[in-house]
Amino acid sequence: MKLEYAKITMNRRSVLRGASALGVAAALPATFGSQAYAADGNTLRVRSYGDMSTMDPAHSVGVVDEEIHGSVYNKLIQYKPGKEWGWQMDAATMIEQVDPTHIKFALRDDIGFTNGFGSMSAEDVKFSYERIIDDATASPNKPDMGSLSHVEVTGEREGTIVLNAPFAPLWSIALPYITGNIVSKAAVEAAGGRIGTDPVAESGPYLRSNWAPKSKTTLTRNPDWKGDAPAWDNIEILPIDDENTAEIGFEAGEIDFTRVSLGSVERYRAGVPNGGTLIENPSLYYLWVGMNLDHPKLQNKKLRQAIQYAIDVPSILEAAYFGAVEASTGIIAPGLAGNRAKGLIAPEADFAKAAQLLEESGETNVSLTLDVINKTTFTTTAQIIQATLASIGIALEINVLESGAFWESGSNENLQLILNRYSMTPDPYYATSWFTSEQAGIWNWEKFRNDEFDQIHKAAAEETDVAKRAVMYERAQDLMEESGAYRFITHEASPVVHSAGVIPALRPDGLGLYRYFGKT
Amino acid sequence: MTVAATNTPKSQSELGIILKGVCKDPLGLMGLIIVGTIVISALLATWIVPYDPIAMNIKDRMQGPSFAHLLGTDQLGRDTFSRVIMGGRVALKVALPAIFGAMAIGLTLGMIAGYGPKWLDNLLMLFFDTIRSFPTVMFALAVVALVGPSLQTVVIVVMATSIPTYGRVARTQTLTLRNSEFILAERSMGAKMSRILGVHMLPNIIGVLAVLAAMDIPGVIALEAGLSFLGLGVKPPTPSWGALLKDGYALIRQTPWLVIAGGLPIILATLGFTFLGESLRDVVDPKLRKNR
Amino acid sequence: MVKYTIKRFGLAALILLVAVTTMFLMIRAVPGDPVSIMLGPRATPELKAILTAQMALDQPIWRQLLIYLGGLLRGDLGVDVFSQRSVSDIVFQQLPYTLELILVSIGWSAMLGIAMGAYAAAHPNTMIDRVTAAISVSFIAAPAFVVALLTLLVFAVKLQWFPAIGAGEGFADRMSHLVLPSIAIGLSWVGYIARLVRASMLEVMGESHIRTARAFGLSEPRIVGIYALRIAILPVVTVIGVGMGFLLSSAVFTEIVFARPGLGKLVIDSITTRNYPVVMGSVLVSTALFVISTALADLINAILDPRARADL
Repeated sequence: MKLEYAKITMNRRSVLRGASALGVAAALPATFGSQAYAADGNTLRVRSYGDMSTMDPAHSVGVVDEEIHGSVYNKLIQYKPGKEWGWQMDAATMIEQVDPTHIKFALRDDIGFTNGFGSMSAEDVKFSYERIIDDATASPNKPDMGSLSHVEVTGEREGTIVLNAPFAPLWSIALPYITGNIVSKAAVEAAGGRIGTDPVAESGPYLRSNWAPKSKTTLTRNPDWKGDAPAWDNIEILPIDDENTAEIGFEAGEIDFTRVSLGSVERYRAGVPNGGTLIENPSLYYLWVGMNLDHPKLQNKKLRQAIQYAIDVPSILEAAYFGAVEASTGIIAPGLAGNRAKGLIAPEADFAKAAQLLEESGETNVSLTLDVINKTTFTTTAQIIQATLASIGIALEINVLESGAFWESGSNENLQLILNRYSMTPDPYYATSWFTSEQAGIWNWEKFRNDEFDQIHKAAAEETDVAKRAVMYERAQDLMEESGAYRFITHEASPVVHSAGVIPALRPDGLGLYRYFGKT
Repeated sequence: MTVAATNTPKSQSELGIILKGVCKDPLGLMGLIIVGTIVISALLATWIVPYDPIAMNIKDRMQGPSFAHLLGTDQLGRDTFSRVIMGGRVALKVALPAIFGAMAIGLTLGMIAGYGPKWLDNLLMLFFDTIRSFPTVMFALAVVALVGPSLQTVVIVVMATSIPTYGRVARTQTLTLRNSEFILAERSMGAKMSRILGVHMLPNIIGVLAVLAAMDIPGVIALEAGLSFLGLGVKPPTPSWGALLKDGYALIRQTPWLVIAGGLPIILATLGFTFLGESLRDVVDPKLRKNR
Repeated sequence: MVKYTIKRFGLAALILLVAVTTMFLMIRAVPGDPVSIMLGPRATPELKAILTAQMALDQPIWRQLLIYLGGLLRGDLGVDVFSQRSVSDIVFQQLPYTLELILVSIGWSAMLGIAMGAYAAAHPNTMIDRVTAAISVSFIAAPAFVVALLTLLVFAVKLQWFPAIGAGEGFADRMSHLVLPSIAIGLSWVGYIARLVRASMLEVMGESHIRTARAFGLSEPRIVGIYALRIAILPVVTVIGVGMGFLLSSAVFTEIVFARPGLGKLVIDSITTRNYPVVMGSVLVSTALFVISTALADLINAILDPRARADL
């Protein structure tokens, strides 16, 4: 943190990781981390956009798992609830960056694991972290640990995290997020090295007392927890993928906390039913139109530029997002290092310029396809793009795909235009990682290949000077836009509602940190 | 499920009799009027819609009903009434080919089963029973995932799931007719199989199937709407009743009119075709009634 | 009767076998590689190979099928590679939600439908008969998901009489969660059953043994309620048996609208994640449900009406 973390405000969003790990999370349109909650006596009812998939942080698929893991496991540091990104102590009593590649820490002495697995030691920290990067674990979350080399145990509850190279996202992703969860070495080894859908040993303020698949996950107060007592006796996490349905549940008083759809923001601004409160948070998602650079029809750069200029972002924001969100300039949201104040192309369409570029391109009778996922927000956006492109004479056919087919697009050679949205964690490193040459055909669906971009992605992760790092990421996004393969649209927003009686503890992007939720 | 063996092939004048019979029945007449309205408005849709159903006007989006927009506008400011009318065309574009296709294939297979050798009969029945045993929506989901959503996919799915119904009925009819006196007489006189099947049996079977088809159309329309509701139907910006419902559900607290505008025609069409089908059945073959 | 039973269930098993095979081959043809979806962009080739072998995706398709069928015989539906849980656990955890929904839906609609039909048949061509007929036809006109949407809005959101989402816990809570979904599914059955019962009642009432009963001076309610209804109810049994597929389809939509757990939601979720083992397992169980219920309906029919036995 001595690094850069305190200075940049980051937003984070974790759905990206859901998208990457499962393909599906991102498919769930609107919700990325939401919580819902109905104050019933001493039970907090929150809504999640998906069902729990594992109790093993190494195999966590993202927000849906972390919402549970965050309450039943401890980390050295946790995200701090509030409007600005930052962290606070959890299992650590001391943590300090001694030099760019060494971080010393000391653990509290009053944290114990359930099921008789004893108190938390530095060995557990070492085991948990090194397990993530061990190939034998096959953890999809390994990249979050970046350049971690190993952990040196220097005492019963003291140790040093050793990096191979400076890793800026350590304080924003690696330690306070999924990979930072500390599991019990003895318990995991006793279970054969893998945790399934039941926890083998927990240490947090809550215990996962029950899981009814597709229906409900229940967290119950841990009687042996010695830290600050959580406010709620029970937390019920209900998996509901559709925000609209969650809102119905909220309004019917069955949920206490949930993310809501952008279409409902205006209505909730006027008043939230049942004495509830609306909180509008920025979001880290990024939505864009991509063009497949490998496709024969999209070889002409002037044509791609014509398309960039012909897409009118304000119309999209108005019709598909109800005017509740801002236009974006790239893949890095405001609040993160590297966010561009202005893109190379203004959000408003410039039809004259587009028509001129099209004419210069020499292309006539252009007809293209645009792939979108089958959610109303995206199909609405697609239809506006279809209409605006038609005005400069480009015919667009919209392919609506269900999420399973959509997330296979990386290997789809016939892909032309695509309306895509990725989620994000609060570090710019996370955004650029999907657009390197290496990722072409995997998550870089535009097949954007640029040596300078690849180099920046690598160098910026090791750059510890925030200002320098920001400039690097700004340049990276210029390169993307210059290729003509990207038209950035929005970062969306993350509005949530909670019922009366709940004091939410949220990350700056509106995701709930349930262990810190209070009540009035 | 017997058709009187003395039934002779239906003639033109018989069609008139059937129509007259339907018109005498108040529910039948009502069904005829509703179905007629839907069909005619679908045929003439291009000329009678007040607005271009895909023209956007974002300024005027999500409005309630008014004189300018009888059913309001959707999230892109498109006139919902125009989209409902055009949606009727899409509904029929799915329903008619699917039903006719299923009827033709079912009829052929059913007659083969009923007239052919026993082993073939058993095989075809097994085929029918197998298709029928998949829950329709789950089957449809799998197929749509396989080939991607489009109008044609929906038609194929609907067709595939309807074949067994027609096949089984056609088979039963064929079996019954096969042993009836007038067919036996024809056979003893040395008539060719093609003549027996084509001239004597087909007209008798097709009437029954036509009634089934009329009663089947609402189910087909509802299935198309259901698939579109799940986001697996026709491509935008094509207006369809199911797509209206899908968008309407997503925006239901912003404007209830989309759901109403999408649901109403489905309910109306269902009513119309059911009335018409029942009335047809009573006129064509009152005995069918108890077996349906 | 024993012979009939054996034959009928033999046929059911055969249908199921053909259905499983068809489904298996069809699912394998769906584009989308479950291994890539599961592992995401960070998958290494080695990791992919391990999983591919685990799911037996590297074997020829006929071997995969044989492996699967062999597992079925042992009651093993395979393992969900995403969560490492057994597919039968996953499916049978969801099945009760769907079953209770279907049973409650068909239960209330059959009771109401039979009562309406019997009453109408006992008073043919009266005002009540006509009203019943009109109501039953209008009910038919309502696809389950449209009714689901409307009831959700009116009774859960606006009036807040019933819970909007989920399945509930404990008997009373579960029942109150079932009210709206079962209305959505059952509504279209009320009219259908009522008309079915009315028609077959009218026919039965004209038959000789009913006339005999009348001649013996049995009271009319007794005749209608006991003698006629017993026979007239037959087509209802068949229709419900055969309608199981339709009921399951309605359940899919209803579970989505009301965010209820169940087979329908499981199928949709697993199709979108290309989770083959779970798709297979849940479709298989739904299909079995249908096949068994049709066989049972035939069987009940055969017991109640010996003439039906010849008809296999």
